[in-house]
Amino acid sequence: MDSLYLLVPIAMAFCAITIKLLLWAINNGQYDDMDKEAWRILAEDEFSSQSEESDSQRESF
Amino acid sequence: MTSATVSRIEAGPQPALENCYHCGESVPAGTHLSLHIDGQERAMCCPGCRAVAQLICDNDLAHFYQQRTAYNDRPTSEQGNTDDYRIYDDPEVLKTFSEANANGEQVAYFLLGGVTCAACTWLIEHSLNRCAGVISACVNLQQSKLSVCFQPEHIQVRQIFSEVRALGYQVRPFQQHAQREQLARENRDELRRLGVAGLGMMQVGMFAIALHAGDLQGIDHNHQGLLRWTSLLVASFVVLYASRPFFINAWRHALRRTLVMDLPVSLAIGLAWLASVFATLTGSGQVYFDSVVMFTFFLLLGRFLERKARLDQDTGWLQAQDALPDAVSVRKGNHWATLPRTDVAVGDQILIAAGDAVPIDALVSKGRSAVREDAFNGEHQPRTVAEGDTVFAGTINIESSLQARVLCTYRDSRLAELQRSIDRGQAHKPALVRLADRVASWFIAAILLISMITWLIWHQLAPEQAFWITLSVLVISCPCALALATPAALASAAGALRRRGIIIRTEDALESLSQSRHIIFDKTGTLTKAELAIDRVVTLGNCPERQVLAIAAALQAHSRHPISKAFKSLTMANGVDQVHYNVGAGLQGKQGNKTYRMGSESFCRVLAPNLPPAPSTDLYWVALCGDRQPLAWIGLCDKLRPEATDTVRQSIADGFSVELLTGDSSGNGALLAHNLGLHHYACGLSPEQKMAHVKALQQSGTVVTMVGDGLNDAPVLSLADVSFAVADAADLARAQADFVLYGDDLNLIHVAHEKARQCRRVMRQNISWALTYNACAIPLAAMGFVPPWLAAVGMSASSLFVVLNSLRLNRENNSGAGQVDHG
Repeated sequence: MDSLYLLVPIAMAFCAITIKLLLWAINNGQYDDMDKEAWRILAEDEFSSQSEESDSQRESF
Repeated sequence: MTSATVSRIEAGPQPALENCYHCGESVPAGTHLSLHIDGQERAMCCPGCRAVAQLICDNDLAHFYQQRTAYNDRPTSEQGNTDDYRIYDDPEVLKTFSEANANGEQVAYFLLGGVTCAACTWLIEHSLNRCAGVISACVNLQQSKLSVCFQPEHIQVRQIFSEVRALGYQVRPFQQHAQREQLARENRDELRRLGVAGLGMMQVGMFAIALHAGDLQGIDHNHQGLLRWTSLLVASFVVLYASRPFFINAWRHALRRTLVMDLPVSLAIGLAWLASVFATLTGSGQVYFDSVVMFTFFLLLGRFLERKARLDQDTGWLQAQDALPDAVSVRKGNHWATLPRTDVAVGDQILIAAGDAVPIDALVSKGRSAVREDAFNGEHQPRTVAEGDTVFAGTINIESSLQARVLCTYRDSRLAELQRSIDRGQAHKPALVRLADRVASWFIAAILLISMITWLIWHQLAPEQAFWITLSVLVISCPCALALATPAALASAAGALRRRGIIIRTEDALESLSQSRHIIFDKTGTLTKAELAIDRVVTLGNCPERQVLAIAAALQAHSRHPISKAFKSLTMANGVDQVHYNVGAGLQGKQGNKTYRMGSESFCRVLAPNLPPAPSTDLYWVALCGDRQPLAWIGLCDKLRPEATDTVRQSIADGFSVELLTGDSSGNGALLAHNLGLHHYACGLSPEQKMAHVKALQQSGTVVTMVGDGLNDAPVLSLADVSFAVADAADLARAQADFVLYGDDLNLIHVAHEKARQCRRVMRQNISWALTYNACAIPLAAMGFVPPWLAAVGMSASSLFVVLNSLRLNRENNSGAGQVDHG
């Protein structure tokens, strides 16, 4: 069970990194608009692929 | 505005024949506009909607219609003309809502109106991203804020304005505002705390399982020490970082000698943490780190959800002057120059175009027109103004352009005075003693007393155990369920009401509403529709009624006066032309060689001297006549909303005393009150008088509910204990109201009231459950029977019960809503 002395600090390090990342993302404004992003993650695929298609069509002319 | 959580609207597969595909409003009879979208012919209600839809399709963005979850707002006026926004290209003006970034690009911020769902953000972003010179565009849906990064040498800011305007959204510069920024900062703070507490809870929980297992089956002392020390590290971070607001709030209130729920919360967190630290340092006793962290997390989560439900679409920062135009035409020598409103000085000559808001209090020096002053009296009927009359900032110039001399600065204007009344109202709004805080005060006393007795008794029996047993009493009595009881119920009720089209904007609104016994309605725009409709036609010649109305409709099509709306849905007579509009008098037109006049009595008498006087009833009468031939008197009135009678009756049945307060000084108020069977009413009140009336009621101990719509209602809405703003209320009235009824139905007041009472019941249940749990658990703990793991399980179970009980509020309840179940 002595591996605990290694594994617990590693777990803590991961936890610290996760917290750091989360705080960075929040400070960066990535969570400022939860309504839109919640919708976009579901809609963007079909949505953007279609409009990009038409964009590229237009550019090819 | 509805959020993305609302299910997709039915516009896609089965277009309702009579509803506009773009805005969802019913298509008026006689309108045959349509557009080919997604392989089908779609009906449109007005040229404005059609133009917007056309633009969307032309840009290959028609996919938007399948993705949206709410109808668009109907575009308010004609298409965005870049010239209207020329003022914003002025570097000084531009600087107020934009900043230059390091790459020489400009980042401008705009406030959007009419963004109804997430798909709108996509539409705006994609349209702008296609403009040459725009680097990036991003809409924040929660704040209705658009940020555009652009190259000033390639695109001018006025083009961005008109681009967004052309899509049918309102757009204006986003002014920095202290309150709004504060709110955004708080949102981030809360999210950070919640995230840290959540991650900490997972870590500490993991170690706690090992420690509890160790308690049961034995654990090496060194391993236990390691796990305790690691838990200490994480839990301390969570307590110091995430729980800080509880401590601060409790301390702040304690200084003022008021007891709030945060005090027992802080005591529980603080004591359990301190004891666990002590146990870890000395290697004895029990640690409660997992309880501490879990408690913090659930409390933060409950409050976060409650706050989010409430603050979506927050408009609390709106100010009266936001509605005023930013650009003003000012006379400079021989020409008109466009200046920012803030640069206009007293004595300047300004030009107010028809359809524009008056930018500042001014004295008319040239021109004749009518202004709509609903901002001050709530009435939608305009007042005729001519040279020598004063027009006020915030009123709308309807008929034709006016020249006027500026009388004062904004600070001294009547509108600024209204804004000050609103601020005063907010400051004087009576504070509610919350149920949870009331319970908290004697809960603390009880806990402290019991702990003390426990310690004294154990000190006699077994002094070495006294400390740990007293501590377990304190931890067991941790008011987790009690503290969650209210936010969980409020968040759940807010979610349910939102689906019915009611948005809650303030924290205590539901609790106040459940206690209110007095409801005050505004008249125009609240109980009535605030638009004139034809009530009676008295024909005078042998011309049939239908023909009279057809001629009237053809004439009124050329008018901007509000009464013309009443004729909009009628079939127009053919061949009426040369229509001329006489400001403040009426219309004149020709059909073939026949001349017609419509308008005031004196105006029509010129053409038909034998016109009899208007029938004397409380209607708004308009005459129509031909050459020497009076045709008809048409009586118009502001029609009651169809559900108004029901609502008033229902309110009385709900135990409210109902009152009518109106700014209208004509006899209509009394007539309406009589028709609705109301004994209490007052007419011709100014916003200040309404406030005084409400204040007097509040001083006699009445909890007052107010329902209103206009800018003139805003101060009284901010003062009332509970306030409702109806669907098409002025922005500022919405900003002051506790509830906004987005579903256009007054019966929603009953729904909200029902839900508020239900919410209060659930809150009581939650609190009694939490107290019962404590009453059972504390004696056991005091006798030393409860091991820490059982305490933790018991605490979580009681919190879970509270949350599940609260979720019942989120269900649609048909039993409670009774026979009135619209929505």
